Amino acid sequence: MAATYTPVHWNRHKKIYDLGIGAGIALYIGVFIAVASATGSASANTSPEILIISALGACAFFMLHVILAIGPLARLSPAFLPLLYNRRHLGVSFFLIAFSHAAYATIWYHAYGVLNPLVSLFVSNPRYDAIGSFPFESLGAFALLIFFVMAATSHDFWLNNLSAVVWKSVHMLIYPAYALVVLHVLLGAASGHGGSALYVWTVAAGFAAIVTLHVTAGVVQYLRDKSHERMIAVGWIDAGPAREIPENCARVVSVPGGEGIAVFRYDGKVSAVSNRCAHQMGPLGEGRIVDGCITCPWHGWQYDPATGRSPPPFVEKVATYDVRMASGRVFVNPKPNALGTPAEPAKIG
Amino acid sequence: MGEIHTVTLVLEAAALYGATGVLFALAFLTVGIGRIDPGARGSGLGFRLTILPGVVALWPLMLVRWIVGGAPHGGDARDDKGVR
Repeated sequence: MAATYTPVHWNRHKKIYDLGIGAGIALYIGVFIAVASATGSASANTSPEILIISALGACAFFMLHVILAIGPLARLSPAFLPLLYNRRHLGVSFFLIAFSHAAYATIWYHAYGVLNPLVSLFVSNPRYDAIGSFPFESLGAFALLIFFVMAATSHDFWLNNLSAVVWKSVHMLIYPAYALVVLHVLLGAASGHGGSALYVWTVAAGFAAIVTLHVTAGVVQYLRDKSHERMIAVGWIDAGPAREIPENCARVVSVPGGEGIAVFRYDGKVSAVSNRCAHQMGPLGEGRIVDGCITCPWHGWQYDPATGRSPPPFVEKVATYDVRMASGRVFVNPKPNALGTPAEPAKIG
Repeated sequence: MGEIHTVTLVLEAAALYGATGVLFALAFLTVGIGRIDPGARGSGLGFRLTILPGVVALWPLMLVRWIVGGAPHGGDARDDKGVR
């Protein structure tokens, strides 16, 4: 947290995360080249340049799958939350690798003719009607354009100045871009760029894994919501026994048609706030109370659990909810108070 | 030849858009940014270079923000100008 913008709010965890990304990229590319060279999957005609282009492309494709898997995995298990905290760093790293792949490929295949390389990229193969020789490069180029806009707008400045809705909409374009990349890879394989059966099945398995993860996370969330719908029929929401909420942590309950409510236990009492951080709608209920403040697990934004207000000098607010204790159980009024309205914490008897 | 002409035209238009964006970014990142977002006042060169590619890509949006001023609309969860 800082009062003015900086390029990156570095801390120890982010440095470790980024070092992990860098090491992972180096390891992936190194192993790819070593295995391709050792097993002979790179044919005798494959030059070192083409091998590097392939390694960069495969690495970017793998990173894209990791990025797409992090969201649903974190919803299914909190064990994956550490991967979620700095996903933007992974996204920008992915873009740089994908860009390197595209730039190197464009130079290698299109820079030695009479045409401008970019013009050559789009016109050298006009066979859009043939699967076996489809100009798959153009699909990758359009996907890269989307990834560029996403990477270029990954700083908080853009979230604040495009509005959360527009920013989120832009970043949801990762799904059509992923579809373009899958087609880019498969049609590339069909036209002789790395196309063994194992290769195609690996791509299909990756796609199936991403779809399965998203569907599973959606179904689990739906079942959670249905369970809470039954509770709301009797008015206040039963959030369960207070003693089952770990100290300084939360249990998240849902309101049909509304947002989740994070019920925090701390200092012998409970308070409830909206589960959505005012920053990027991060899951506050998956965070902890640190120094007396609810701390968002995504980017560390903080709120007083009793008022929903950020500590000075910050001025962000989230909605609070009235809570009460009955027979050791926490009950929450599903009607939210106005943003930043103090709500008396309920003491755990 | 028609395809080459069309693609060349599109790429030249994109280059013109990008060049305009670079010129706009020079003015925006030195003068305009502090007017539309108080959190950017006093920020360093590193931050401004970080958002440079986005300004070049989305310069018409930022131009409108600069001219119109004020907070963005459309469901922004933030109802004040605190920034991090």
